[in-house]
Amino acid sequence: MDDEDMSCTSGDDYGGYGDEDYYNEADVDAADDVEVTPTHSEEAEYECLTVSQVERVFLDGMNQLTARIPVNDKCARTLLEANQWDVERVVKLYRQDRTDLFRRSHIDARPEPKRKLSATSGVKAKGYCTVCAMEGHAELPHLACGHCFCEHCWKSHVESRLSEGVASRIECMESNCEVYAPQEFVLVIIKSSPALKQKYDRFLLRDMVNSHPHLKFCVGNDCQVIIRSTEAKPKRVTCLACHTSSCVRCGADYHAPTSCDTIRQWMTKCADDSETANYISAHTKDCPQCHSCIEKAGGCNHIQCTRCRHHFCWMCFGDWKSHGSEYYECSRYKENPSVAAEANHVKARRALEKYLHYFERFENHSKSLKMEEELRDKIRKKIDDKVNEHNGTWIDWQYLHKSVSLLTKCRYTLQYTYPFAYYLTGSPRKNLFEYQQAQLEKEVEELAWAVERADGTARGALEAHMHRAEHKRQTLLHDFFF
Amino acid sequence: MASQLPRRIIKETQRLLADPVPGISANPDESNARYFHVMIAGPDDSPFAGGVFKLELFLPEEYPMAAPKVRFMTKIYHPNIDKLGRICLDILKDKWSPALQIRTVLLSIQALLSAPNPEDPLATDVAEQWKTNEAEAIKTAKQWTLSYAQA
Repeated sequence: MDDEDMSCTSGDDYGGYGDEDYYNEADVDAADDVEVTPTHSEEAEYECLTVSQVERVFLDGMNQLTARIPVNDKCARTLLEANQWDVERVVKLYRQDRTDLFRRSHIDARPEPKRKLSATSGVKAKGYCTVCAMEGHAELPHLACGHCFCEHCWKSHVESRLSEGVASRIECMESNCEVYAPQEFVLVIIKSSPALKQKYDRFLLRDMVNSHPHLKFCVGNDCQVIIRSTEAKPKRVTCLACHTSSCVRCGADYHAPTSCDTIRQWMTKCADDSETANYISAHTKDCPQCHSCIEKAGGCNHIQCTRCRHHFCWMCFGDWKSHGSEYYECSRYKENPSVAAEANHVKARRALEKYLHYFERFENHSKSLKMEEELRDKIRKKIDDKVNEHNGTWIDWQYLHKSVSLLTKCRYTLQYTYPFAYYLTGSPRKNLFEYQQAQLEKEVEELAWAVERADGTARGALEAHMHRAEHKRQTLLHDFFF
Repeated sequence: MASQLPRRIIKETQRLLADPVPGISANPDESNARYFHVMIAGPDDSPFAGGVFKLELFLPEEYPMAAPKVRFMTKIYHPNIDKLGRICLDILKDKWSPALQIRTVLLSIQALLSAPNPEDPLATDVAEQWKTNEAEAIKTAKQWTLSYAQA
């Protein structure tokens, strides 16, 4: 069956490439000879947006929503932010139960706190703020819930939340009130402090972009670009401003054929040598909802993620809400200690050996890639020399340059096949993968050999190597990535 | 150290002294008005009845935007209070709200003594005991109260 898959793939996708390619000597076509046209692109479809363009994306979403249901712009923004910018979903929830939607989106309060408020505020003097215990405030701003506090306290509250990195989820100051302060409210409160406003705007943009499933910040240093893509697969994006390439889904280095979750696991594992990584793995866990890294600073196992506010159990990662009487199932030690200890020791050893096998190969390709950067420079120089000696034109020697580029591309994919293989289970699929990986490995090394000795190798032979390596790479990606 | 004691703290202190909560006393330290010596009497309906528990309460610079820091000084056998006296209580952490007060915090701690919550444990060994053998746990709590929490 595996063989069928293989032949089917190569037949379908690469049938157009016959032997004539290898012997094609025409200069005009030379550049394209080795390009194997893939059925799927490794590049994600995306666009690079500026902050103002992103604001327009948000406005479009808001306009779509306000055209469907009778809410104002600000309300629409909050509703969409709380619901992954899914207009259909908001409209559906709105029609089902408006009150519930507004409460879940932290726009309106539950009815109880309002009663409590009227009971306490009746006793107090006019213009009294319960937080600073001062009277005579001319104004006591409040959110939709009606809990009144003075401007000064609101400002301190906003400042305190901002210092914790919270912007779009600043709660009302009243105990147990879950209404979030909307943007226009916060902006009025902090209008006298440009520094706070700047901080708030920055964090708010971050929160808004993070809440949108199609938007991601460019991972380049100090790059302001926001990448918009509806790509579901972890394909590659390259920022048009800073030229940083990354995976469109997770923002890490492009990692085909490996998936985002796997590469995150792998990278954490690889960094295990360092003390920091040891500390991270010993003392932190990722939030099961937003994958933020969380350090447990207290004893309590009921954790709330400060970023996404998700409540979960530190031991079993279950939602805390559904966490009932079976709690101790997740901390109870079940195995027979002496047998388990010995087995674990052996298991750990074997696991380490397996890991080292994959890691050494992953790391080795990474080093080779760096060294082949030097090779690229050498070849560039060699081309210059040849052209200067009137030995052919610059265009004639471009195939050498292309061969190093292709070598890099193939080796890069090969490098990232190792994390994939490490986590791959299930034997028929694993066998096929390892077969294809071995094929690619062989072709890459033959290509590397040929490229390093490009002088002595005939152009036709070199291009045959190039074609075969790219062919293997495409086959592997086709079967395991696309 | 603190430039001037906020009015909020002065008012809260005045009220705590003038109108104390039954079973709770909180007195500011002579040298630091942000530090309180707290005594909580074990609630009658709990295994801590008859004990008097000493706590310390500190109002950080950011108070009331940040929660007060509270700790038991007296040893206590309770699933939500650990060996160092630290307390697992939501309003002291993520559920803190600037509208809460020293008074409400101490009341919540008093309520925690009446109603231990082994589902949200801090001292896991105590919580385990509380869930598997409540009678035994209550007996130990009473013993500890007798041994450590006598005024």
